[in-house]
Amino acid sequence: MASADKPINTDVPEKDVFTLHFLQSLSNLRRQNTFNSPEKTNDRVKKIKKAAYVSMARAAGGTNRLWSRALLRRAAKENSKVVRFPRRKKRVTCLRRRRSNRRDPVEEEEAERLRNLVPGGGGMETSKLMEETAHYIKCLSMQVKVMQCLVDGLAPK
Amino acid sequence: MDLTGEFEARSYGGGATREATRLESLHLGDEFRQLALPPENAGGFTALLELPPTQAVNLLRFTDSPSSSSQAAAVTGISPPPLHSYGTLTFPSDSVLMDRAARFSTEHHQNGNVSGTSSLPSNSSVKTEPAETDSSQAVNNRSGKRKDSDKKAKSWTKKNKSSEENENLPYVHVRARRGQATDSHSLAERARREKINARMKLLQELVPGCDKKVFDLQIQGTALVLDEIINHVQSLQRQVEMLSMRLASVNPRIDFNLDTILASENGSLMDGSFNGTAMQVVWPHQVTETEQSYHHRQLQQPQQWPFDGLNQRAWGKEEDQDHGQ
Repeated sequence: MASADKPINTDVPEKDVFTLHFLQSLSNLRRQNTFNSPEKTNDRVKKIKKAAYVSMARAAGGTNRLWSRALLRRAAKENSKVVRFPRRKKRVTCLRRRRSNRRDPVEEEEAERLRNLVPGGGGMETSKLMEETAHYIKCLSMQVKVMQCLVDGLAPK
Repeated sequence: MDLTGEFEARSYGGGATREATRLESLHLGDEFRQLALPPENAGGFTALLELPPTQAVNLLRFTDSPSSSSQAAAVTGISPPPLHSYGTLTFPSDSVLMDRAARFSTEHHQNGNVSGTSSLPSNSSVKTEPAETDSSQAVNNRSGKRKDSDKKAKSWTKKNKSSEENENLPYVHVRARRGQATDSHSLAERARREKINARMKLLQELVPGCDKKVFDLQIQGTALVLDEIINHVQSLQRQVEMLSMRLASVNPRIDFNLDTILASENGSLMDGSFNGTAMQVVWPHQVTETEQSYHHRQLQQPQQWPFDGLNQRAWGKEEDQDHGQ
């Protein structure tokens, strides 16, 4: 028998938490690098983008969310840092058992595309994927708002 | 009323008859028989849970006798005196019921009634769990029978009700629609699909521009909705990228003295120097407001209160100067 769902929890913290994390990451960046090299704007853009994503992942619930975990792991791999996550229960074995159930040919293509978009989507079942997508969308929109505010503030026209 | 009765029958994993449900609530212990009755529909289970521990201890004391018959007799003998302490309680004077209850009570008593009041809710929960696993098969059989008798619309509403009401239970009692198979695979499949549909609805509310689409239970609709969702996620990611490019071009202008700001905020020691450092950064109005609210929230953690007036004045000054700029 399938188990019933508890109410789906997609709470996202407030804007200021995002702001705080983002500003922290930016100040870290500033301390690390010199911004006087105009030809390396591409690098700078990439760094800022990565900092944005990582701070978003950290602000939006740390390692409690699958997508944030995957994001942080991906970022840490690029830095070749060892990241330690608190081990949850054995998800992987459950997934292997459920994989036979997952086939639903019409939805699977769409789910495949979603999986490519949302970080960490490769190992998730479809229902879990949708939950993560909802949370991811909320966090992304929050991050966009924060960045928009910053850009407007720093370069008002 | 009939539906609520059915609901109770299902939620207690009850049998097919009202009498059986009463019995199952009764077999939680004959000491609770007396309390099982005034809300006869609600059943002994909820009455059991609302039972204050002192009264439960009283009840326990009465049932400490070894043999079943004497136990039943003792309970029935002692029951009239404590009845008045619980107010007006009706009591089943059915001899058949009492025999059955006595039989169940021995079985319950053998489970170990020794540990006192703390064991009472756990015992009841232990009882309901096997009852529910029995009921899951019972539901399958019942749904097999009922699918012939119900019309399609009626079974759909009942299924809705059951799915709503069963959100809190560990097992989902799914009612089969007319003409659908009831083996466990398809049931699991259907439960899974309902989960996915529920989440799809959630996503639909999030993504703007999905509201006008048809409220769907079909696969055709979900493909469109998923397309919309994917577009939205892609657009958000592209926006983040563009904004980060803009920030990168703007960034050298920033004179972040964030370290002092953050340190001062965490240490909750606000000096006058706070003003100087913060002024150099051009903050937009919204950001100051959000940071202000965040600061206030942090300051409300019990730190030095006399600084609070200073903080508010400081923030107020900053905002005024910001407006001036």
